[in-house]
Amino acid sequence: MLILTRKLGESILIGDDIKITILGIKGKQIRIGVEAATGMTVHREEIYRLIQEQNKQAVKSVEAAGENLSTIWNKLRRQSLP
Amino acid sequence: MKITTKRFANLDVDEDRIILMQRGILGFECYKRFVLLTPPDSGSLIWLQAVDDPALAFVVANPYVINGDYKPFIMDHELKSLEIERGEDIVLLSIVTVHTRPFQLTANLRAPLLLNAANRKANQIVLEESAYPIQYKVFDDDAKTTGDVSLPEAGMEQLDKISVAMMVV
Repeated sequence: MLILTRKLGESILIGDDIKITILGIKGKQIRIGVEAATGMTVHREEIYRLIQEQNKQAVKSVEAAGENLSTIWNKLRRQSLP
Repeated sequence: MKITTKRFANLDVDEDRIILMQRGILGFECYKRFVLLTPPDSGSLIWLQAVDDPALAFVVANPYVINGDYKPFIMDHELKSLEIERGEDIVLLSIVTVHTRPFQLTANLRAPLLLNAANRKANQIVLEESAYPIQYKVFDDDAKTTGDVSLPEAGMEQLDKISVAMMVV
């Protein structure tokens, strides 16, 4: 990991297309601005990881449930009815 | 073109039904080409089958069928990335997870698949600063989905244009 120290208002450039700027510091929170080329996505890490995990779980869950969508859908509807 | 699948044996699919995921699906980035398969009598569930991996398929559903109030805020750069020029060309799909104990389906409303029906390009987008959950219960306690598939936003017509109806389950 490359470690840099920045002051409020200062920036970091990654390659030619990504610029990260420290916009504000308040207590334990830091506001960070990211400018990136169109097509690049920017996400908070923990959300990104959660989505990845959910996608993987989704694939496995369908395999485990048996793969007839009609059966799954109708079973659920019947089960939920009083 | 011919596609080999684990679940549906070999399929013959028109090139103009192949969905191109620009960035792939999170966690499965190397698979970019998919096809949407709608089996008969599956309610609102649709298969998203990878063209290049016979074993990889997701179950997806139209989020408007699941949640009639779904109003995701889609950022401009996401629309530009897929060259979306008209609102009518937007199709949204949510990846569905099956849960057991208790048996339930959840849909990822936080990270929907955004598709451009005009060119079949797509991406999984993550809604930042959003209250929509990653696991939204498809059926509420009254065994109903809360959505309304007749809404214009539901994009059902567009969905028909880019999916393949399967005759056999």
